[in-house]
Amino acid sequence: MLKIRDVQTSYGKIAALKGVSLDIEDGGLTSLLGPNGAGKTTLIWTIAGILKAQAGSMKINGEDILGLKAHQIVSKGIVTVPENRLVFPEMSVTDNLIAGAFSRHRDKGGIESDLEDVLTRFPRLRERADQLAGTLSGGEQQMLAVGRALMARPKILLMDEPSTGLAPIIVEEIFEIIGRLRDEGRTIFLVEQNAHMALKYADRFFLLEQGKVTFSGTPGEVDEKEVLERAYLGARKAG
Amino acid sequence: MLDLVQNTVDGIAAGAAYALLAIGFTLIFGVMRRLNIAFGPSIMVGVFLGAWVHAQWSAGLVGAAVATFIGALIASAYIERLSFAAIRGDAALASMASSFALWMQLEQGVALAFPGRTTAFPGLPALPDLETAGLFLRGDDIMILAVAGIVLIALHRLIYHSHFGLEMRALADNPEAARVAQVNTKRVAFLTFCLAATVGAVAGVLIAAADGQISPKFGLWATLKGLIAMMIGGLGSLRGALLGGLVLGVVEAQAQWYLGAAAREIIVYGLLFVCLILLPAGLAGVRDTGAARKL
Repeated sequence: MLKIRDVQTSYGKIAALKGVSLDIEDGGLTSLLGPNGAGKTTLIWTIAGILKAQAGSMKINGEDILGLKAHQIVSKGIVTVPENRLVFPEMSVTDNLIAGAFSRHRDKGGIESDLEDVLTRFPRLRERADQLAGTLSGGEQQMLAVGRALMARPKILLMDEPSTGLAPIIVEEIFEIIGRLRDEGRTIFLVEQNAHMALKYADRFFLLEQGKVTFSGTPGEVDEKEVLERAYLGARKAG
Repeated sequence: MLDLVQNTVDGIAAGAAYALLAIGFTLIFGVMRRLNIAFGPSIMVGVFLGAWVHAQWSAGLVGAAVATFIGALIASAYIERLSFAAIRGDAALASMASSFALWMQLEQGVALAFPGRTTAFPGLPALPDLETAGLFLRGDDIMILAVAGIVLIALHRLIYHSHFGLEMRALADNPEAARVAQVNTKRVAFLTFCLAATVGAVAGVLIAAADGQISPKFGLWATLKGLIAMMIGGLGSLRGALLGGLVLGVVEAQAQWYLGAAAREIIVYGLLFVCLILLPAGLAGVRDTGAARKL
């Protein structure tokens, strides 16, 4: 379990996260919802060690890992599927996947078999294994980004807006992939604008508004309409 | 006609050395997206250390070459720390200006340490000249071509078939994604500098040994040749650097033969302008202008 307590991150003088606390429990999908500019991506990048937090703690199994460098975070099993896919456009699909296993590059046999697993999971990537990643469609690039993250043998998978810029039918496909990963018992932390889809697949969710967690729960037991409204608009009801 | 072919052969040998310099520039530019114009001077520091070892202990070519590598590595590491690691990645101009300052510093330092303008460098082992069908290939040129060929093959293996090569290509392709994919970007950037210095030092040894002497002007000369070859070939492309180096060598040889040494430089810069205007993507045709990524 990843315990995040009172994490504060700012860009220069602008505070993006004003003390965020939440737990990512083992197994299942935890979703972070919230309107534009609430700090969702900032939180992902802070967890991933790409942005530096000014305060707070982040513990995995009791060990504080806030402040570690990005590649060290990955070696703790926390792997990011970044927004907008961020694949290597001028490298082959296979090289892109192998890049996911950088931290254990001496384990040739393990990488080989993981590569086989990912290509079996995504037959479309197998068809395009030798193509440059930049020539793939948006949906395929998203699959590639997920596949690359799986190559790192993640304990926790951080997914940042996997639906961004994809056609609705592709979004459904991507969420089916996410659902399948969840059903396999993986731990997923999903940051998503598309709150409707996220709530459909989430086991637990948090609502982030203006750099603070303002609401949390399980999808079944809350007024979904209100959550959706706040997730999209950040509207607070007066009184 | 025979002259034309002979010039081409001569030009390719010179071009092979230019190509190595251009590859050094390209490695750094491709991975850092910043220009290290002190690359030539860092090689110059190396060859002067080689010449010093030669003068001091009458070391042969091997000893001088080893000293050249060490000198170039130290100078490159110094430049990397001060002009690149210490400056934010998106401040490309600051890095370039800073590397220019280090260039002046290195050049002055060498000029002070070696007051004589030129210094002797041990020559290449004498290979017999080759002559067939009226064409003439100098022993030195055979040596340069052979060594450059070996370096290119080794480099190709390293970049396209090793873990470090994949990390380097990943960083060149998409730095943000490379960070997410757990590449230790600072380490890879530093090692890329060392690799560029190694390739540059090979070029430096070949050129200095073929000439039998060096001068502090070598830094300026190496930066100019390397940069021009890189720009003709296509910014950030290794294939382009190789091609650009060879084309530069051949064009120089032809111009020198037909028009004389004075016209040579004019022709070369003319070629550079024509390439920049007509083929902004370079001979290797790198797609989109921001493409520092085709390593």
